[in-house]
Amino acid sequence: MDDKFKVLIIDDEEVVLDSCSQILENDDYQIATAMDGSLGLKLVEEYQPDLVFVDLKMPGISGFEVLEKIRETDQTIVTIVITGYATVSSAVEAMKSGAYDFLPKPFTPDEFRLITKRGAEKRRLVLETIALRKEKELLREHFAAIVSHELKTPLAAVQQNLFVLAMELSDQLTEDQRKRFERIQSRIGDLVKLIHTWLRVMSVDVEKIRAEFKPTLVSKAITKAIESVQPQAVRKDIEILASIEESIQPVYGDEGIIVEALVNIIGNAVKYSRAGSRVDVKVEGKEDDVLITVMDTGVGISKEDLPFIFEDFYMGKTGQQVERGSGLGLAITRRIVEAHHGSICVDSELGKGSTFIIRLPALKPNISNQPSLTETLAKP
Amino acid sequence: MEPRKKLLIIDDDPDFVDGIKAILIKEDYEVDAAYNPKDGFKALETKPYDLLLLDIMMGRGAEGVMLARKMRKDPKLREMPVLIITGIREQIAFLFPGQPVHPHFLPIDELVEKPVEPQLLLEKVSTLLRMAEERKVETK
Repeated sequence: MDDKFKVLIIDDEEVVLDSCSQILENDDYQIATAMDGSLGLKLVEEYQPDLVFVDLKMPGISGFEVLEKIRETDQTIVTIVITGYATVSSAVEAMKSGAYDFLPKPFTPDEFRLITKRGAEKRRLVLETIALRKEKELLREHFAAIVSHELKTPLAAVQQNLFVLAMELSDQLTEDQRKRFERIQSRIGDLVKLIHTWLRVMSVDVEKIRAEFKPTLVSKAITKAIESVQPQAVRKDIEILASIEESIQPVYGDEGIIVEALVNIIGNAVKYSRAGSRVDVKVEGKEDDVLITVMDTGVGISKEDLPFIFEDFYMGKTGQQVERGSGLGLAITRRIVEAHHGSICVDSELGKGSTFIIRLPALKPNISNQPSLTETLAKP
Repeated sequence: MEPRKKLLIIDDDPDFVDGIKAILIKEDYEVDAAYNPKDGFKALETKPYDLLLLDIMMGRGAEGVMLARKMRKDPKLREMPVLIITGIREQIAFLFPGQPVHPHFLPIDELVEKPVEPQLLLEKVSTLLRMAEERKVETK
């Protein structure tokens, strides 16, 4: 019974209520009626209708007021106004303020059925949209947690067995083998760290990230990021040219996370560059900001893709198919930069290359000195 | 000579279990494994173990937590020392917001993160066994 689509009709004319009930009787609706506005509103609360017909001209509370109150109670309830031909203009007014449709009196059973059906469809769509939006939000929030758990589980098994192997083989491995073993372990460790970063950044809790902020040198982060991308670059014979202005103010942030963001950007630059070309990385102070520019002369981004590249899971629809990614790199980078109260923008032309500019607010000299001072003092 | 200590591992990842088991067996513990909470609980009820190693994130969520709660209600099982093994520390915080990272499911428990280094694993296991031993003496 409860699954039946619930219609409420509020009208002061008994004949309208009766005929409407009769018309819908044989269809799959559950119908309630009210003779005036206040009774109708009471039913809206108790009966929780999907669709409400409201006569605009009633004694007592006006139809407009009823509509207003319904909207306050539950915005997803679909409302349709009943009105005489002479007052179509008031129906238009009602629709402007949220009613979905209007039913002009007098109406034929077919007209009423059709409008009811349309209203029911609308309600279904509204509810579906809300459910989907909720699901999407939930997915976004938990995506990182779920994915990272799925990724970490097999990695943990690998790491655990590497521990055991290292222990069991400790007296049999040559120095060379032992080093290789350590490298395997450290690379997997890097991967786990990366997953942690994703988890931190994707699970949106910017406050948690900010709790660990301290004065950080961008130049150091740049060096680390370039180091990390260098192997890819060497393989493609791409030169990464860094020019870092001296005496740049530190920023307030987390070095590890900033490195992550830079690895994404510089890594992309290398990924989408042609073999033998060059990637320029520039750091400069500009007014109260630190500006990081990463420029390549690679494949570039098409105009169609450009507005979306910082969105989650966006992978370019047009242009080259050279490389495929998760569609998360730039979205994560954007989040990281925004967590640092900075901004990121891009300028690109298909076939000519891209320039990404990250702007991070620089620390004022006096503020930056204090935390780093206490930090050095705290160390034994 | 003391009899060999009997340990049970409950974890749904057989490869991870192997990696833990090898370390413990080398140290001369007797080790059984169960690969889901149901079999694990059955094993706990049918055979006396000295210590349980429990993965708390099994299956579709925190099934290990459920098992720990079940143990807590059992007057005999609640005395068993448990080494809780977790994949992600954040997820514990996520499950028990506002609580310190180590939630203390049972009177005698400890928490380690996956993967766990052999030395650390052995230390935790022997510490827990000793704590359980001392508790037994106290209550006698």
